[in-house]
Amino acid sequence: MDALEVVEILVFPGLTFFVWLAFVFEWLDRKTTARMQGRIGPMLAGPRGILQPVADFFKLTSKEEIVPQFSDKLVFEWGPPFFFAAPAIGTIFIPVVGLNAIVSSPYDLLFILFVLAFSTLMAGMLGYASAGRFSTISIGRLVLQYASFEIPLLLAIVSPAVAAGNLSISGIVQAQSNFHWFVFVVPIGFAVFIVSSLAELEKPPFDIPDAKTEIAAGWMTEFSARPLAYVKLTESLSYVFLSALAASLFLGGTAGPVLTNVTILQDGIYLAYFLIKVFAIGFAIFAIKTALARVRINQAANLFWTVLTPLSLLQLGIVILLR
Amino acid sequence: MVENDASEDSKKGMKVGGALGEMFRTAFQRPITKKYPFGAAQVAERFRGKLDIDPVKCTGCGVCEAVCPASVIQMVHTGTRKVGTREIETKRPTFDLYTCISCGQCVDDCRFEALRLTHEFELATVDKKSLVMDKALKVVN
Amino acid sequence: MSDKGNNSPISGEEGSAKREVSAGLMQYSPENLMPFGPVHPALHEPEYFKLILEGEVIVDAIPRIGFVHRGIERAAQDRTWIKNIYLFERICGICSFAHSLSYVQAIEGILQFEVPKRARYIRVIVAELERIHSHMLWLGLVGYWTGFDTLFMWIWKDREHVLDLIEAITGNRVHKSYNTISGVRKDLPENISEPIKREMAYIQDRIRYYRDLVSREETLVVRTRGIGKIDAETARKLCPVGPLLRSTGIARDVRTEDPYAAYDEIVPEVKTSSQGDVASLLTLRADEVLESCRLILLALEKMPSGPTKLTAPRSVPKGENAFHVEAPRGELFYYIRSPGGITPERVKIRTPTMANVLTATSMLKGYTLADVPVVLTGMDPCFGCMDRISVFEVDKEKQWSVRGEDLRQYGISHYKTKKL
Repeated sequence: MDALEVVEILVFPGLTFFVWLAFVFEWLDRKTTARMQGRIGPMLAGPRGILQPVADFFKLTSKEEIVPQFSDKLVFEWGPPFFFAAPAIGTIFIPVVGLNAIVSSPYDLLFILFVLAFSTLMAGMLGYASAGRFSTISIGRLVLQYASFEIPLLLAIVSPAVAAGNLSISGIVQAQSNFHWFVFVVPIGFAVFIVSSLAELEKPPFDIPDAKTEIAAGWMTEFSARPLAYVKLTESLSYVFLSALAASLFLGGTAGPVLTNVTILQDGIYLAYFLIKVFAIGFAIFAIKTALARVRINQAANLFWTVLTPLSLLQLGIVILLR
Repeated sequence: MVENDASEDSKKGMKVGGALGEMFRTAFQRPITKKYPFGAAQVAERFRGKLDIDPVKCTGCGVCEAVCPASVIQMVHTGTRKVGTREIETKRPTFDLYTCISCGQCVDDCRFEALRLTHEFELATVDKKSLVMDKALKVVN
Repeated sequence: MSDKGNNSPISGEEGSAKREVSAGLMQYSPENLMPFGPVHPALHEPEYFKLILEGEVIVDAIPRIGFVHRGIERAAQDRTWIKNIYLFERICGICSFAHSLSYVQAIEGILQFEVPKRARYIRVIVAELERIHSHMLWLGLVGYWTGFDTLFMWIWKDREHVLDLIEAITGNRVHKSYNTISGVRKDLPENISEPIKREMAYIQDRIRYYRDLVSREETLVVRTRGIGKIDAETARKLCPVGPLLRSTGIARDVRTEDPYAAYDEIVPEVKTSSQGDVASLLTLRADEVLESCRLILLALEKMPSGPTKLTAPRSVPKGENAFHVEAPRGELFYYIRSPGGITPERVKIRTPTMANVLTATSMLKGYTLADVPVVLTGMDPCFGCMDRISVFEVDKEKQWSVRGEDLRQYGISHYKTKKL
C-alpha cells in the first residue's frame, strides 16, 4: 500500500470526503424537510446554515459526558467509534471518482451485507449497554425490525448483482455504462431497496426504534456528549452510505458519458455524476420520510414479510430468468 | 376483536403519501417562519405590552393598586399636601413590571387616563430590579 | 381472524386488534413497569402514568396526578372578584377564555345582571375562535404523536391565522383577558369583520383538506383507526365529556343543552361520530372546527349594536351559583359561593381533563406502547388544569390529603434522605 492509497482511503474519496458529505446531507435533509413543512430550517451557521450540522457535532463533543450508573461502561464509551466504523468502512467499496472504487474485490456485496448487519448489531449493543428502560424496549423493536427488513434488503441488493453477473460494486457500476441502468432492469428491487433503507436508517415511517413520542430517543436515550456526537454522525453517514449504494447499484453510480480524454477532468465529471445521483436518491428519501406517519412495529413487520419479501423474491426470479 | 370502522371515511380509498403534492407546493411557497430577532415583529393594534405611565396626569389616587391582580403596583408615600384645613397624604405609584401580566385592568380603571399599554414587549433582562418603573418620582417631587 | 374489508398491506390482519389482557393490578414486577412521564416527549406537561407492560402490550395503566398543582382554588379566596378573572384565565393557556367566561357568568348569575346583547355575541365569537385554535392544536399534535411531523407543522402554521385574529380582537394570543363581569372589556375593533371572513374562509378550506388527509393517508389511518376504542355504553359509565364523549355517538353539548352567552340565538349543530376511536376523534374535531367557523360568521352577521359592558359593583351579594360552559375540551364547571363581600368564599372548578383522565387511562389497556401517545392524549389533556393535591397510593389503598406545610416538610425530609 503506497502513500497515495492511504490518502485516498483517509481523505479523498474516502473517509473525510464522506464525513463532509454526511454533514451536507444532514443539512440538506433539515433544510428540505423544513421547506416542505413551511419552515426555514437552519439559517445561522454559515451561508444558509450549511455549517449547522458541523456546529452541532463540535458542540456535542465539547459537552459533559454523562455515563449512567448501571451501564456497561466499556461498550457504552467505546462502542460509538465502532458503530461509526461500520458505514465508514462500507463507503470505501463505492466508486466515487472513476469507475473503480479504492478497494475492490470480487466479494464486495458480501462485505456490504456484513457492514449493514454490524451497524444494527452495534446499535443493539449500545442500547443494551446503556441499560435504560426506553433503550431496552427500543432494542426489542430494533431487532424485530432488522429481522423483518433484512431479507428484502438482501434480495434487493442481490438482484442487480445477478443482472450484472458480478458481486463487486465497481463491476456492477461498470456494467451500467451507456445508460444501461439497473433501475430499468430491476425496478421492483430498487423500490424495495429504498423502502428497506428507510427501515435501516430508522426514518419515518420506520423510525420505530427511536420513536420519540413513545420511547424518548429509543436506544440513544442515555447517550450524551461525545458518544452522542458519534452516533448522530454515524446516522448521517449511513444515510449517505445507503444513498451512495443505491446510486451505485441501480442508477449507475459514477458511470455516464465520457466527455474528455483528460483523465483528471473526466474524474471530476464522474464525481459530478455520482453526486447528482446520490443527492437525487437523498431527496427521494427526504420526501418519503416527510410525507408519512410512523407505523407500529407489527405493521412494519407485516409490510416487510407479506409484501416486500415476496416482491423482492419475484424480482430475483425475473432477473434470473432474464439472464 | 375490535370491529373495523364502517363509517363514511373508511369507504374512501386510502393512499400512501397523500401529502406529497401539498408538500412540494409548500416547499415553493414563502416559509411561515418570521425571522423575529433579525426582523421586526408585527403586533396587533390592541396588543398589550409594557405598561407605561404619564406622570403628569397621575394624581396618585391608588385605584390601580387596588385592582391590580398581580400586585405590580405599590403606592409609596411622597409627602403631605394641604387641602383646605386638612393635611392629606400624597402618594405615587411604582410598578414592578417583573410580575406584570399585562392584563390592562389598571388602564381600564384609571379615571385620569394616566396609564397605557405600549406595544413594547422585549422585557427580558438579567436584572429583575431593572424592571421596577418609578417614573412618577422625577416629575412629582 | 375475519377479513375486515381493509386490504391495507400495512395494517394487516391484526393491525389494530386490541389484545385481551388478563393480569390484574397487583400482579406485576418492577421489570414490567414502564414510566410514562412525568417528563416525556409525548406529554407537554408533567404527569406520571405507570404503564404495566407485557412485551409491548399494556396490561394496566395507573395515572398519578398532582405534579403541577398550583392551589388556584385556594388562592382565589384571597383575591377580589375582578382579580380572580385573570387568575382563572391562567389555569389553562388554551381554554383561558372558557375559564373566565364560566367564572364571570356565574357571578353575573348572582348579581342578576342582564349582559348586553352585543357582549354576548362577542363572547360567542371569541369562544369559538378559541375552540378552533384548541382543536387545531390537537389535530396538529396527533401528527406529532404519530411521527407525522409534516401534518403537525402545517396545522400549526395555519393555526397562526386564528391566533393573529384573537390577538387583533382581544390584544393577546393566549391569555385573552377579554371578559369582565357584565360583558367584555372592549368592543370589537373596527374593520375586523373583513379579516374574520377572510381567515374563516381560509381555515375552512385548510381544515377540509386536513380532514381528507387524515382519513386517507394510510400510515396515519392504520395508527388511529380502531385505536383507543370506547363504546357508548362504557362511555356512559365513565362519564367523559366533550369530544371524547361525542366521538362515541352521544350528542351532548352544553352549548345546546343549557345555552349561555348568545348560543340560544346562534344554535350550534352538535357533531358526533360513531366509532369512538382516535380516527373518529380526528374527523370529529375537524368537523367541529368547520362548525365553529360557521357560528362565527353567523354571529358576525347577526351582531346587534349597543354597549358591551355595564358598570359592575365591587362586591357581590351573599349567594352561590354554579355555571358550566362548553370549553374546547368539554364541559367546564364552576361553582362559586359569595359571603357577600369583595372576595369569594369558595370556588370549585371541575375541568374537562379531570373528567376525562380515567376514561383515557382505562382506554389504554390492551393496546401497545406505540399507541399510548395517541390514546392517552385523545382527550386533549391539560394536566395543569386537572391537578389536585389529594395524594393516594393505589397499591396500599391509602389516601390522605396534604397541607402546604406538610408538603414542605415532606420535601425537606425527602431531599435529606436522598442526600441531594
